[in-house]
Amino acid sequence: MGRLAVYLTRLGAVVLGLFLLTSFMNAEVNAAPKVSGELIIGFGAESNVLDVTKAAAGVDWYYDQQFYEMLIQADPKLERKNWLAESWTLGQEGGNPVIDVKLRKGVKLHNGDTCVAKDWVYCYERMKDPKISKWSHYQAAVDRLEVIDDYHFKIHFKKPDATYIPGGLRLYGISKAYFDKVGDDGVQNHPVGTGPWKFVSRNIKEDLKLEAFDQYWNKTQRPGVKNLTIKVIPEDMTRVAAFKTGEIDWIDAVPPAMITDVKAMKGVQTVSLLSGNNLFLQFNTHMPNSPFKDVRVRLAAAYAIDMDGIIKSVLFGQGERYASVGKGTLGYDPKLKPYEYNPEKAKKLLVQAGYPNGFDIPFYNLITPREPNIKEYGEAVAAYLTAAGIRCKIEGLEYAPWIAMGARQDPPDMDGIVSWMWGHGVVGDPGSPWAGYLHCYKEGTGWGSYSYWCDPEFDKLLEQSQDTMDPVKREVLLKKIGRLKFEKVAGGLDTYRPLVTFAWRTDKVTYTPWPGAYYRELREIGLKKK
Amino acid sequence: MLKYLLSRLLQGVVCIIGASVIIFVASRVSGDVTLLLLPPDATPEQQRIMRHELGLDKPYVVQYLLFAGRAVRGDFGKSYRWQTSALKLVLDRFPATIQLAVCALVFSVVVALFFGVLSAVYQGSWFDSFGKVFALLGQAMPGFWVGLMFILFFAVKLGLLPAFGRGGLKHLILPAVTLGWYSVAAQTRMVRSAMLDVLDSDYIQTARGVGVPRWILIWKYALRNAAIPLVTMLGVYFAAMLGGSFIIETIFAWPGVGRTVVEAIFARDYPVVQAGVLFTSIFFVLSNLLVDLAYGFIDPRIRYVR
Repeated sequence: MGRLAVYLTRLGAVVLGLFLLTSFMNAEVNAAPKVSGELIIGFGAESNVLDVTKAAAGVDWYYDQQFYEMLIQADPKLERKNWLAESWTLGQEGGNPVIDVKLRKGVKLHNGDTCVAKDWVYCYERMKDPKISKWSHYQAAVDRLEVIDDYHFKIHFKKPDATYIPGGLRLYGISKAYFDKVGDDGVQNHPVGTGPWKFVSRNIKEDLKLEAFDQYWNKTQRPGVKNLTIKVIPEDMTRVAAFKTGEIDWIDAVPPAMITDVKAMKGVQTVSLLSGNNLFLQFNTHMPNSPFKDVRVRLAAAYAIDMDGIIKSVLFGQGERYASVGKGTLGYDPKLKPYEYNPEKAKKLLVQAGYPNGFDIPFYNLITPREPNIKEYGEAVAAYLTAAGIRCKIEGLEYAPWIAMGARQDPPDMDGIVSWMWGHGVVGDPGSPWAGYLHCYKEGTGWGSYSYWCDPEFDKLLEQSQDTMDPVKREVLLKKIGRLKFEKVAGGLDTYRPLVTFAWRTDKVTYTPWPGAYYRELREIGLKKK
Repeated sequence: MLKYLLSRLLQGVVCIIGASVIIFVASRVSGDVTLLLLPPDATPEQQRIMRHELGLDKPYVVQYLLFAGRAVRGDFGKSYRWQTSALKLVLDRFPATIQLAVCALVFSVVVALFFGVLSAVYQGSWFDSFGKVFALLGQAMPGFWVGLMFILFFAVKLGLLPAFGRGGLKHLILPAVTLGWYSVAAQTRMVRSAMLDVLDSDYIQTARGVGVPRWILIWKYALRNAAIPLVTMLGVYFAAMLGGSFIIETIFAWPGVGRTVVEAIFARDYPVVQAGVLFTSIFFVLSNLLVDLAYGFIDPRIRYVR
C-alpha cells in the first residue's frame, strides 16, 4: 500500500507537471506574435479630433479608426462582421424594435480596462448629445440602452431606423472611466480605445505616432510592426516625391495623374479602391420655369455626357460609373446600367421638350479638390452639356460657399445645376444620402436638407425604407427606389464613384486594405520579415 | 527717442485694433460655419444648438466685444475644428514660420548683397548680366512651381535633401530658398543702384585716393550707406514672407502658422483665424518698429525727434 501511494503520488506529480507545462506552451501559442520595428507612412490629410464622439468630417476617421472600434465592422471582402459584438439579434419589444447585443468578452482598452456594457451606454449618452456629437441625429430613433450585465445590453428604439444596423450599430468602444479621469480635453490629447493601435504622440500638421497594442483582442488581424508614424503631407507631388526618395514607405491618395509613374517604380505595389463617395449633378426642379422640371430635359442631360470618356481622360481612369446605387451598396441592381453617351438623342429630347435652341443655365462647380480633379470633371461635364444645347455658365465655388449654395433654404439659392456629392459609404447604404437629396425638403426636419427634388411617391418609399429594419425587405424597397430614381433621373444625375489609390514598397511593407475610414484603416500593415 | 517709441507703439495698437475689427467682420460675413461643422443631414435644431454653443447667435457687436474682452487676456477661444486652444494652435506653429521666414530673408539679403554689390562693382560685365538674370528668375517663376522643381531635383533625382517636413538644417534649405528667391530680384536691383550712387560719391573717391584697400572700401564704407534703402524695405519683405509662407508650407509640409491660418479661413474656423491674424499683426508692427530703429543705427544722421 505504501509503495502504491508513493507511485500514485509520483504519477500525480508527473501529470500535474505535464499539465502545467502544456498550459504554459498553449499560452505562448495563443499569445499575439511579438512585433518590432518602425514604419513611416504618409497621409494627404489628417483628423481634427481624436475623440471619436466628437468626430465631424470623414477625415476625422483617418486617425480615429486606428484607436476605436465598433460593434459591427466590414472586413476586406466588404462583408459586415460581428466585431466587438459577439452576436446581436433584431427583435421587437412593446411594438418597437430592439437590438439585443452580446459583447465579446475580454476586450481590453488601451488603458488596461476591459470594455464592458456601461462603456457602450456612456458612448451612447455622448453621441446622442448635440452639444457633444455632430452626429446626434443618428441616435434620434434610440430610446435608451438597457444593461443586462457587463457583456450584454439592449438598444431600445422608439421608432425604426433602418440605417442603424448598416451603420455598424453606430457606437464605439470607449472607456467611461478614462473620460471621467481625464475629461474631454484629455481624450483629445491622448485617445484610448480598443483598436489595434495605441496613441503615442501627435504634432498637429506634422505627424501621428502609434504603437501596436500588444493586448489587442484580435490575434490574427493585427499590425505587423511595433511603431507606426503617419506623416501629414497635403501636397500630392510632395507626398509622391517623399515616397520615391524612400522617406516614407506607404502613401494614400496617389494623384491620378501620377499613378502610372508610381506603378512603374520597381518594388512598388498599388491598389485602387472605391473611396465611398458618390458624385452626381443636382438639377433645380423647383423653380416654376426650370427646364429640369421636364423629365425629357433631365434625360437629355444624362445622354449628353460622355462619362466614360471623362473618367478615362480627365480622371485618369480613377472612377467607376454607377446607376442610382453602386456595386457593393445595399440596393444595387445589376440590371440598371448607366446612361450611354448619345448626344444626338440628347438634342432630340431637348427639341421634344420644347427647347430646340437649347437654353442657358448656371452651373455651380466645386473647385476645392475634395476629390481629385473634381474641378476639371465639372468643367468637362459642363462642356458636354453645352455642346448638346444645355449651355452652362460655370461659376467656380470654394468648399464653404459650395456647401452654402447646396444647402436647401426656402426659396433655394441654387437655380441651375450644381456638381454635388454625397457618399453612400464603402460598404454602402444610400438611406441617409437619399433622405437628404431625394426626399422633399421639409423645413425643420432634416428631410431634404440638400434636396432640389420633390415627389410624394419618393417620399413615401423613402420613409418606408427608413422604417424597415429587416435588411432583406429593405433591399427590395431600395432597389425599387433606385429604379424609379434612374428612370426619372430623380434627385439629379448620378455620374461616378471615385477610386483612391494606395502605394507601398513590397520589399519592406506588408499591407492588407481594410475598408474602415475610407481605406485608411491600418489594421494589417507591417514590416516584411527578412 | 522715447516719445518716438511711444508714438509708434500707439500707432501699432490702433493698427491692431483695426485689423481685429476687419478680420472679425470678414470672417462673420463669409457664411454659416455650422454648415461646415455639421454633417449634411444635420437638422436645423442641431444647427441652432451649435450656433448657441459657439455664441454665434448673439448680435455681431456683442460677439466682437466678448471676443475683444477675452483676447486682451490671451483667450481666443477653442478652435472649432481642432478642439484645442486657438492661440496655442497658432503659437505652437509660429516658431516654424518665423524660422522659415528669417532663413528666407537671410538667404535673400545675402544673395542680394552679393549680386548687388558685385554687379555694381563690375557694372556692364558678364557677372552683372548673370546677376540680373538670376534675380529675375526668382521673380518670374511662381513659388509653388519652384518648390516642386527643387523637390524633384534635389530630393528625388539627387537624393541630397529631404522632400518634406521640418527637422534640421537640411530640411530648411529648400523651403527657405524657395520662399526667399522671389524677393532677391528687387533687393538686388536696390543694392546695385544704391552702390552705383555711393561708389561715385566724394568720400569714396577720397578714401580711394588715400589708399584704403578696395574690398574694405566696398564692403565697409560703401555698403553701409548703400544698405540703407534695403534695410528700410526689410520689414516689408519679412511681412511678405510671413504672409506668403502658406504656399511654401503646404508644398514642403512645413508645420507653420501660414498654412494653419489659411486652412482655418477655408474651414471658417473663426477663433484660429482671429488668433493667427492678430498675432501676425502684432509681430509685423513690432518688427517694423525694430527695422526703423535699426535704420537709425546704420545711419547716425537720422534722429527720432520732432
